[in-house]
Amino acid sequence: MLPTVSEPPAGEVGALREAHLGAFRFMLRARLLDDKFAALYRAGKIHGGVFLGRGQEALSVAVGISLVKTDVFAPLIRDGAGRLAFGEPMLDAIRTYLGSALGSMRGRDGNVHRGRPHAGLLPMISHLGAMISVVNGMLLARQLKGISGTVGAACIGEGATSTGSFHEALNQAAVEKLPLVLVVANNQYAYSTPNARQFACADLADRAAGYGVAAHSVDGTDLTDCLATVGAAVAGARAGGGPQLVVANLLRLCGHGEHDDASYVASALKKSGLGRDCLKIAEDILLREQWADAAEIAVWRSAALREIEDHVAQVQREPAPDPFAEAWTALSSQHLSEGQVQ
Amino acid sequence: MSITYLEAIREAQARALRDDPRVFIYGQDVGEFGGAFKATKNLAREYPGRVLDAPISEDAIVGLAVGAAIEGMRPIIEMQFADFSTVGFNQIVNQAATLFWRTQVPCPITVRLPFGGTSGSGPFHSQSLEAIYAHYPGVVVLTPATVEDAYSLLLAAVAIDDPVIFCEHKLLYYHLKAEKLPTEALPIGKARIHREGRDLTIVTYSAMVHEAAAAATELATEGWEIEVVDLRSVKPLDTDTVVASVARTGRLLCVGEAWPWGGVTAEVIARVTAEGYGLLDAPPQRLNAKDTPVPYHPNLWAAHRPTARSIAAAARNLLRT
Amino acid sequence: MPSIPIIMPQLGESIAEAAVINFLVQPGDRIEAGQDLIEVETNKASMTVTAPCGGRVESFSVQLNESYAVGSVLGQIETTAAEAAQFGVDVPPPKTGDTEQLSRSTSATGSGVLPTIRGLPVPANASGASYLSPRLKARMHELGLSAADLAGIAGSGAAGRVTVEDFEKFMAQLDQQKLSKASSMRVAVADAMRRSWTRPIATVGLPVVLDPVLAHRKTCQPKPGPALYALRALALALAENSAVAGRLVGMNIVHPSSIDVGFAVEAEDGVLVPVIRNADKKPLSELVGRYDELVELARQRKLPVDATGGSVATVTNFGTFGLVWATPIPLPEQTLVLGLGAGRKMPHWDEAQGQFVPVMEADLTLSFDHRVLDGGAAGRLLQRIAALMQQPEKL
Repeated sequence: MLPTVSEPPAGEVGALREAHLGAFRFMLRARLLDDKFAALYRAGKIHGGVFLGRGQEALSVAVGISLVKTDVFAPLIRDGAGRLAFGEPMLDAIRTYLGSALGSMRGRDGNVHRGRPHAGLLPMISHLGAMISVVNGMLLARQLKGISGTVGAACIGEGATSTGSFHEALNQAAVEKLPLVLVVANNQYAYSTPNARQFACADLADRAAGYGVAAHSVDGTDLTDCLATVGAAVAGARAGGGPQLVVANLLRLCGHGEHDDASYVASALKKSGLGRDCLKIAEDILLREQWADAAEIAVWRSAALREIEDHVAQVQREPAPDPFAEAWTALSSQHLSEGQVQ
Repeated sequence: MSITYLEAIREAQARALRDDPRVFIYGQDVGEFGGAFKATKNLAREYPGRVLDAPISEDAIVGLAVGAAIEGMRPIIEMQFADFSTVGFNQIVNQAATLFWRTQVPCPITVRLPFGGTSGSGPFHSQSLEAIYAHYPGVVVLTPATVEDAYSLLLAAVAIDDPVIFCEHKLLYYHLKAEKLPTEALPIGKARIHREGRDLTIVTYSAMVHEAAAAATELATEGWEIEVVDLRSVKPLDTDTVVASVARTGRLLCVGEAWPWGGVTAEVIARVTAEGYGLLDAPPQRLNAKDTPVPYHPNLWAAHRPTARSIAAAARNLLRT
Repeated sequence: MPSIPIIMPQLGESIAEAAVINFLVQPGDRIEAGQDLIEVETNKASMTVTAPCGGRVESFSVQLNESYAVGSVLGQIETTAAEAAQFGVDVPPPKTGDTEQLSRSTSATGSGVLPTIRGLPVPANASGASYLSPRLKARMHELGLSAADLAGIAGSGAAGRVTVEDFEKFMAQLDQQKLSKASSMRVAVADAMRRSWTRPIATVGLPVVLDPVLAHRKTCQPKPGPALYALRALALALAENSAVAGRLVGMNIVHPSSIDVGFAVEAEDGVLVPVIRNADKKPLSELVGRYDELVELARQRKLPVDATGGSVATVTNFGTFGLVWATPIPLPEQTLVLGLGAGRKMPHWDEAQGQFVPVMEADLTLSFDHRVLDGGAAGRLLQRIAALMQQPEKL
């Protein structure tokens, strides 16, 4: 995927080890970048909300790392790790949060609402379930153009499974047998609403059968499980197996946004297995398997911090969008903009 | 030979499919069946794999079109009835209409809305929704009133790089006929003087152009010369042509089949009042459907919408003012 | 036996017509209600027309492979009265033609203004005919005209309003007559009078004996004119009750802050109104010099700024033109104008002498804004002024 801070260890390495090492470093960078956004938010440097991926990095990175550059990725709001793994430049994230005119959204949209559609990375609208059918459309278009072998991943939370768009789009993908991987991060709360008020089935993965799509369940706190399960789902879609529904169980280790103290999260949940920090678990795996030692991890950490600080410093010097230079038209056909009809 | 408004729409789609491999059609019953109104008759057979039946999922239908547009395709979506498009409203106004502004990636989709009232169709198969779509930035809203415009504006809609809401009036489908398809046309955003006059301007669009023209014919027997302006496109709205007409006549009556509140007629009056106040020889008036759902029974339906008779009455009042 | 029509049904959304492609029964056949009778085809689908009731097919009035409009009669069924009643076909179907009438009656409510005085020469700014459209106003503005200029036009529009066509015709007629440019003084007076005339103005009058004034002025050097006596009397009367000179603005009377009184002086092609400040505070003898000075400056049109404007009332001596009575119009910012007519020898009955004696008499007039005061208050003010003028030595 992306060139990372340092080259992978030299010599023969097992695929599993390589995947874990790569994934861990994306997770680490994403966590540290999130920490930076939280700090900037508290310093009053960010307009609007800040939405972190804390506790969801293992699932997120598994999606990003399983996709290739020509695939489609529609992330959810906690997919910082997956975005980095898919290839989104860290600068895009920082520029969008800080409203730089040089960012991909040019100050017109902010925070997690960013992407580069022509690079396969979709900028979400707030109605997250609505992104699934857009991925379907990209996949169908490729079929019509005779392009095969690409996969589209759409990520949503358990809350979006309650929307009509979710139903319509998953059914649509099934009807068209599209290579869609629909990843549901069941983080137990949609903002403050607990699962008991969101859905009544025992397991969201059970729904797959109703749509005629393949189902996968995964422990979202365990990087190894995430890499294996999401990897299998993506491979299944790529091989022509049709839509794949992946449901990950995990816990959001932060508020809905940084404005939210998440006081509603039950302490029993926090103390349960779901409440474990996936980043810590991943680090423990690396150390236990002796794929990396503490000193190496410390080096990666300080390199990531330096990268983040350098980028933030750069973006803070960049120009803000200029209202007087704005075209103030939402149409691509500028001659059809209101008031400009000739 | 003659060609109907509906056939013109079918022919425009056939030509778009023939001329541009990026075009495909997606919607309920549009495939082998040829559409609820037969607007895609035989197209699935003539262009295999490019005219696709969709599940009853307006949200996902539009969402899919947006995704395909990102991939460089130019989808044409048929909503079976304009009334059903509200289920896909979110995808149109929040996804399609914001895409270019947010990302600079164009969203060339055409959403065909068979709209407007026909006798006996009732509250959910009769609506005129041009105003709510025109309210949103990032969309073009077209309302052809003639066979020629149905053809040329639909081709223009498919050709431009922005989401187009194409409002085709069901009442005109079979009733309106022309000798042949046009070879040239006014561009999008230009209104057309449907009938020249000097005493009063009626600004309208779609099926109401014909009601207004009938009213003008009736008033001509009383010595009045009524000018009828066909907007053709409600967004962009050709303010210049409207104001120029009011400059000639001094009196403005706006007619729309849609509901009155915040609609196209209100917009036209606001613009003329702001830009051409000194041209007005009487307070501008509008005539719309009544502010209730569209009724089922023909008696109620005919009284609910503007007709040639009620337009003529409104015009007479305005001419007397 | 009732005969029931077979009607081409509404076969689908916006379908206008359908072609007859097959007769499934023949004239003379017995049929039951709901039985398929005729196969028809639209451009959407083919379907059948069914019997509205049971009976016998009387006739078909249509041809194979021809198209017929929705609502057309396709044939007749002969049936019994009981059968027709059972299936509800014994009442005529609603005529959709009636809907035109319906829409007409509903849209006719709240119809516009009807012409009632068309053709009558109504002043354009009079009530009921005062509507000037934005288009007409824009045209008048372009030409620098005001509503009063249109007073001579008989409007041909609704309620006698002046239409643009009326206006243009009027202007074209003017072009055929001799036109001369009005002076700026004329235009200024016109503007002031037009603005003043937006109020209800009334006038009252009272004869006053001038002999005491005339006798007193002979003793003075320089001699004050009769108008100055009137001015001073007005000032003193207003000092006693300034509210009558107040202006009405909305719900409030705006009281004068000082008794500054103006007087009209004829100048070339117009009238100027110099002002004597605090006319209630100085005796007549001290006012004469200032009065004469201001008259001279006004005639030369060299009035200083501090001697114009801001007065609470005006005195006009129309008697100098030999006029005995007039209804002057107050300045737009004033409520009162006091007029003084020409003096005349009049016979007054002298009770002591038992005979008529000649006295010099003139009419005092007071024009006022009727919104602020009424005839009674105006009369009392005039009486007070007249009384003060009988003791000129106290002025």
